Amino acid sequence: MKILLTGLNHKTAPVELRERLAIAPENLGTETQALLGHPGIGEAMILSTCNRVEVLIYHEGDDPGIADYLNRRFFVDAQTLQPHLYEYREAEAVRHLFRVAASLDSMVVGEPQILGQVKESYAAAKQVGAIGPGLERLLQSTFAAAKKVRTETQIGASSVSIASVAVDLARKIFGSLEGKRVLLVGAGKMSELAARHLMQQGAGSILIANRTQERAVQMAQKFNGHVVRFDELHTRADEADILITSTGSTEFLFRTPHAQRFLHKRRNRPMFFIDIAVPRDVDPEVNRLEGIFLYDIDDLQSVAATNLADRSNEARRAEEILEQEVMRYRRQMDALDVVPALVDLQAAAEEMRQAELRRHQGRLRSLTTVQLAAVEAMTRSLMNKFLHQPLQTLKTAAREGDAAAVEAIRAAFQHSGGTEETEHSTEAPSNAVSDSGKPESLISKH
Amino acid sequence: MYLLWLRVAEVLYGLASVSVLAAVFGRRPQWQRICVPVAVLAWFFHAISCTEMLAQAHRWMPQGMHEVQSMLALLIATAFLLIVWRYRTLSFGIFALQLAFLLAVVPALGPDKFTFSSPIHSGWLFVHITTLLVAYAALIFSLSASLLYLIQERRLKRKRSPGFLDWLPPLETMDQIAQTTLVLGFCGMTIGLFAGSLIAQESYGAAYFADPKIWLSFLMWGLYVAMLSIRRSTGLRGLRAVYLSSLVFLGMLSVWAANVFSSVHRFSAP
Repeated sequence: MKILLTGLNHKTAPVELRERLAIAPENLGTETQALLGHPGIGEAMILSTCNRVEVLIYHEGDDPGIADYLNRRFFVDAQTLQPHLYEYREAEAVRHLFRVAASLDSMVVGEPQILGQVKESYAAAKQVGAIGPGLERLLQSTFAAAKKVRTETQIGASSVSIASVAVDLARKIFGSLEGKRVLLVGAGKMSELAARHLMQQGAGSILIANRTQERAVQMAQKFNGHVVRFDELHTRADEADILITSTGSTEFLFRTPHAQRFLHKRRNRPMFFIDIAVPRDVDPEVNRLEGIFLYDIDDLQSVAATNLADRSNEARRAEEILEQEVMRYRRQMDALDVVPALVDLQAAAEEMRQAELRRHQGRLRSLTTVQLAAVEAMTRSLMNKFLHQPLQTLKTAAREGDAAAVEAIRAAFQHSGGTEETEHSTEAPSNAVSDSGKPESLISKH
Repeated sequence: MYLLWLRVAEVLYGLASVSVLAAVFGRRPQWQRICVPVAVLAWFFHAISCTEMLAQAHRWMPQGMHEVQSMLALLIATAFLLIVWRYRTLSFGIFALQLAFLLAVVPALGPDKFTFSSPIHSGWLFVHITTLLVAYAALIFSLSASLLYLIQERRLKRKRSPGFLDWLPPLETMDQIAQTTLVLGFCGMTIGLFAGSLIAQESYGAAYFADPKIWLSFLMWGLYVAMLSIRRSTGLRGLRAVYLSSLVFLGMLSVWAANVFSSVHRFSAP
């Protein structure tokens, strides 16, 4: 069986094409099952996210024709699809899969969702019986490699989006966001996103102030929050621990005296101002006050850019870790590749059988052709019976990924084979039967 | 035997001190997994050493300079482990574990040469010494938390600060630690001074209160009360909180150093 990974991602294909191939999570199982029905495919998994659609298979033969399958299945003609498809085989496929799961191939390097998406794809494939021992081993190694990258590097430690940077900063000030109150001033998209992030991270309640009362009420319903009248803003803003402002005001809404009043009423408990309005709503001088932390859109973007640069440095370390993991996986696979061992074992046994027949050929000379054929059949049958159990054990151990058992069996038979080889250095074994009906190995010596 | 346990603890404190630096500054989870168990082991052997030391001497309280230092180191390690357990931050280990290590170095070298020989062997003396040691340990943590708060505050205000300070705990966590240890220290100091005053009144009379060490102790208590009330009433944080804590800390050091000048309250060769 061979490994093949093919697909397209945000680097190779535009969104128009990716969305045509995208598979909804609830359909992953049935699609994987359909793929499994394609000739030559033994095991399969489909990974479909907003940034990539990839097919991972264990297959027989040289080309299972996955591109054709994709053309037919998703009604995309070959000429459109082919230039955007990449194809990785064997070690390259393993390396690519490891990189994907460790989020090194993601649009935002280090984002944590991709590993969960790979696991979901694995679960869907497993449910429909598309995961056999080959992919099972590969995917378990993939999860282990991704986990190693997460724990041994800081690739996902820092935030790279404006909203998550705001959450991170709030955590640096308040620790847990449990029970913290957020005040949204103005109801822009960006402030809504930041508020949503804060609420998801445990912020307790939300207050909304907007010049248009109607819009404030709509937002309050959406977040299950409370409306603060815009003209009460300066008297009630101190109730909030985090204030997100994004109004279209051309003048500062909050100045130093306001902030001083807030601090006094809060008995100096810290307050976090997130000013994402352009022009700004909060006078930058406010940041000079002890206990007030003010970040405008440029500050947030600058933190995000710094974090992104840090991630790039960590990504280099992650690549080194993954390279080691790919090597480890390949060594495991080499250890489990028992086909050469099976062939060697059978050849050594056959050699022994031939040598024994030659040793006794003087006594067998009186036998008729039929009797000689019977002896030939009997010795071969004995040999096969003797080999049956070790060969089965070897195959089972290889299938179950028990490298230690494979090595033990291999070592035991290599030893005995080696001894025989030095004792009887002979011609190549032959199981052929001559035209006369006598076994060739016996007739040639007559 | 207690010296052997103390030396084992000392080696473990050394290891924990190194691993905490790697865990905090290097932000490596595997070092975090090493640091805490090693620190717990160090604390365990240290506690055995202190218990055995006092049991051998058939008394409850430390009498020698080395014994007091060792007990203080144990209290600092205890406070550090409590903070790790309660606030899930190792950051305080970068000074607490080093301090515990340094304080226990000399006691681990050999037995005391200088002891505080007191004819009084009442339980009150045990209360006096233990609670004051708790107060010292708590003050060290309170000052450290205030300093870390200040660094983190400056860092957040500067906005483009270097990444090597990422290990600093959140402001609110440090504020809580500073406040809690301050209150704990105050309780320890009040009980300690009260117990000491009772013993002195009973055993030596009013003359004992003329000693400079005793005066300084009460002055420090007064400072402590002032700092606590200011912090509680105004919610003082940041730079001014550090100034106040530093003032009390200096007071504490001078009270400790006053043992040298004290005529009635000093360590001496037996």
